Amino acid sequence: MNRTSWKSKLTSSLFVLPYLILFTVFLFIPIVYGAWMSLHNWDLLNPVHEFVGFKNYAKIFDSNSYLNNLFFDGLKNTLQFVVYSVPLLVVVGLALALLVNSLPNRLKGFFRTVYFIPYAVSVSVVAIIWLWLLDTNSGLINQYLPKLGLEAIPWLTDMPWAWVSLVLATLWWTIGFNMVIFINALNDVSEELYEAGSLDGANRWQRFWHITLPSIKPTMLFVLITSTIASFNIYGQPFLMTRGGPGSSTKVLLMNIVDEAFDQRQLGNAAAMSLMMALIMIVISIVQFKVTKNKED
Amino acid sequence: MKSKGFKLFMVAVAIIIGLIFILPIVWMLLTSFKTDQEAFTAGLKWLPKVFTVENYQYAFSGNGDTPVLQWMGNSLFVGIVGTLIVLTVDTLAAYGLARLDVPFKKALVSLFIGSLMIPWVITFLPLYMEFSKAGLLDTYAVLILPYSANAFGVFLLYQYFRNFPKELEEAAFLDGANKWQVFVKVVLPSARPVIWTLAIFTFMGIYNDFLWPLVTTSSLDMRTITTGIAVMQQGSFVSSPAKLMALTSIATIPAVLLFIVGQRSFIKGVNQTGIK
Repeated sequence: MNRTSWKSKLTSSLFVLPYLILFTVFLFIPIVYGAWMSLHNWDLLNPVHEFVGFKNYAKIFDSNSYLNNLFFDGLKNTLQFVVYSVPLLVVVGLALALLVNSLPNRLKGFFRTVYFIPYAVSVSVVAIIWLWLLDTNSGLINQYLPKLGLEAIPWLTDMPWAWVSLVLATLWWTIGFNMVIFINALNDVSEELYEAGSLDGANRWQRFWHITLPSIKPTMLFVLITSTIASFNIYGQPFLMTRGGPGSSTKVLLMNIVDEAFDQRQLGNAAAMSLMMALIMIVISIVQFKVTKNKED
Repeated sequence: MKSKGFKLFMVAVAIIIGLIFILPIVWMLLTSFKTDQEAFTAGLKWLPKVFTVENYQYAFSGNGDTPVLQWMGNSLFVGIVGTLIVLTVDTLAAYGLARLDVPFKKALVSLFIGSLMIPWVITFLPLYMEFSKAGLLDTYAVLILPYSANAFGVFLLYQYFRNFPKELEEAAFLDGANKWQVFVKVVLPSARPVIWTLAIFTFMGIYNDFLWPLVTTSSLDMRTITTGIAVMQQGSFVSSPAKLMALTSIATIPAVLLFIVGQRSFIKGVNQTGIK
């Protein structure tokens, strides 16, 4: 047995090796390489990259540097989108799941599919559909508003409507996914709990509040964290729908990072911004996790 | 318990909300059969005044600036090959880590699972530089390989394999099968639902990705359908809504049909893998 043990370990290692290689080349090395880039004055056109230590990070925090504005203005816009979209992504996702579950059995599958369909549409198609639905002059929605006695709304060119439009398009596009996750969780809540609740004379609202919500708490946390990360990574919707406007008020952090990297060609600065963005995302995920966990105790 | 009135009310609400989800797609399809001029002029007409297929003819004519079939082909190729790579390396690694005597097993598992915490944006620019230095920008390699490092599938399958009953494997080993044979003949078939779920997740992720293919491709023929449409929207189709809608319809119809077929297994898979 012992004689063949090294041989067995070798053949077992071969199972893990292909993934380990890909992991190293396309994840581990880039992480180290990115940190290295962020410590250099890295001009894409200049073959010589001067080592500058933490100077790129210092610039992000120096209010006299343009990098300071670029980072914190972008961050402010991204955070606004996160704050507007995430509560809706969670609450509307759950509401749709409850709605589908309350339907007669024959209709459940049909409506679940209908609400899930936009998820199959790619972001550029989502942007184009909503761009032309929301167009100030010829958009369909503004054609209907006067009929309802309302004024036309500059959906994409004025604040706060630009945020409303971006959140609306994002909800339409992605909410079906959260709904499916919630439907799964709701179906797993044990029938016995509901029966016990009914015997105790709990009404529908009380049963939802005291039985359903506590039972699906882990799912809430999962949806909360994944929605937050997805909203943090927002790029396509403002890039295609508002182009960061009006002015630069929907220009999100990722757009500024891409500009700094590919328009200004300052990859060192952009790498430092990326690392800072990632750090903030990690901290927020941990806080969300801790806060939700503590509430459970 | 539930009154009939309540059920009817819920169905009515479900229909109204359903219209909100479906009408934008219907409107896109109808607009694609209008002329650009009609699509532009204000009005509440849903149906085209003059029904025309010229937008589709233009899109498919391949007159240079909309190689839409090439883009669709690219997206499908990149999505399918990327998914196959992920499925192959992830099932192998997950099984090895869950069941076999791999050295440094615990460290590797923590490393892979820990990597799930790392936001994608950290690797974005250094990956770009890696491919740039290797001279692989604007190729299929840059559109496929980066997705293979994601540890999500390894994690998903690792959890599944750990809970898989040992007896089946042991019986096969007693029959003289080696690790590879047990993996292919016993383990893989049992994991089919989880693998299917991972396949759909991975394919959708690659097919719908936007920023990465946008910055790593530059020639018209290397665009994916998502980035190709975006380039047209910001470029020569900026004031041709009907032509644009024909393009988006071509991209959307097959995806939606595939999705309607695939979503049942997807939902079943979400159930079985316990993503919650």
